[in-house]
Amino acid sequence: MDDSNERKFQKELNGGLVGLVLLAVLAESDEDLYGYEIAKRLANANEGTSIFKEGTIYPVLRALSAGNLLTSRIVPSYSGPPRRYYRITEQGRGVLAEWKLIWASTRDFVDRFTEIQNSEIGHSS
Amino acid sequence: MNRSAPRSIDQYLRQLREELAGADSALIQDALYDAEEYLRAEVAAHPEKSESDVLELIASTYGAPDEVASAYRDTEIKVKAAMATPRKEPHTALGRFFGVFLDPRAYTSLFFMLLALATGIIYFVLAVAGLSLSAGFSVLIIGVPFFLMFMAVCRVVSLAEGRLIEAMTGVRMPRRPVYQGAALGFWARIGEMLRDRRTWSTIAYLVLMLPIGIIYFVIAVAGLSVSLSLIVLPIATVIAQAGWFGVGGIEAFSDAQPAWAFHTGFGIPVLGLAGLLLLTSLMHLARGIGRLHALFAKTMLVARSAPSAPEAAESGAPLAA
Repeated sequence: MDDSNERKFQKELNGGLVGLVLLAVLAESDEDLYGYEIAKRLANANEGTSIFKEGTIYPVLRALSAGNLLTSRIVPSYSGPPRRYYRITEQGRGVLAEWKLIWASTRDFVDRFTEIQNSEIGHSS
Repeated sequence: MNRSAPRSIDQYLRQLREELAGADSALIQDALYDAEEYLRAEVAAHPEKSESDVLELIASTYGAPDEVASAYRDTEIKVKAAMATPRKEPHTALGRFFGVFLDPRAYTSLFFMLLALATGIIYFVLAVAGLSLSAGFSVLIIGVPFFLMFMAVCRVVSLAEGRLIEAMTGVRMPRRPVYQGAALGFWARIGEMLRDRRTWSTIAYLVLMLPIGIIYFVIAVAGLSVSLSLIVLPIATVIAQAGWFGVGGIEAFSDAQPAWAFHTGFGIPVLGLAGLLLLTSLMHLARGIGRLHALFAKTMLVARSAPSAPEAAESGAPLAA
């Protein structure tokens, strides 16, 4: 019961965050990345376990691409179906800058109330 | 879901397909494509582990089939809601009738009807030439590679046609091609392709697009030219009678148009009004045809949403719908 509540809360939080993180990863990268590579970068940055399920980033990548925040091209692959490589657009960079500001102010605001339990949060993650 | 965890890529994809049952068939194709890309890359990245060992951990990394399925459903709904511009629906019958002029889908569908002749000719030539050359080459060594090349071109064309139809009519079509499992052998894949209903329905679609394209084109051109000339008629008459043009004046028109329209003064605006009604009806017709055609294209070009369970279990093929 507790576990599913935690997961539900995490899922609600992730709603907009996945898009922000994906844009940030692609903005930092010098080369185009495909879904699996992005998923692995996220997992590696967090000691092997991603906060969100890697399967959930694909639909978001597609949604960002449909909104012209990313461009993509298809490259054949030996291991499976052809891969779609993504690159951030200028419009995407603009949106990312805005979203970063929103995220920073949201985080500061939330921190103001939750900082007391900071040690516990650090422990559980 | 309290089902046994998938132990192979095929099982995973089959469970994902079951979880997505009832969703849009284009969305299912995309979701299966993405999952297969990830799973195959993950297996390839761990050559020291067996496929079932890799799949054991997949629920904690990629996500279990039901989680992934719900992520696709949710994102699709959100994106659709965000992309769709809210449109005020006119309430009166008259408003609804003429409101079609404010609907971009009506214009794009009309454009699609005009374009259908050109694409229809290209598709027809491609399909007929490909089929007949494949048949002719089948006795030669290049027969099989040529047929495979032809099928590859057909798949690319059907994906492109789907994108065109989605852009024109707004009906969701696949954004990724169907990926045939790499696990199957070369001959098994060819056999699978020949048994695949979609292979033949795609070719049938490409052939049928010529007669359909001709019909669409004729409807669009005839409708547009008749209605637009009727609408322009009163304006042209007024201009001609005012003598602004001075080129032959009314005589030039009275020869070509029914005499009563000019002898009785009110006939001219009536013709103009008829033209307007005709144009509006044409827009409605175009929008309707656009929707119907998108449904037709979906049945012909996109795999059925799910194979019946025993069929999938027998063939063991992940995407052989």
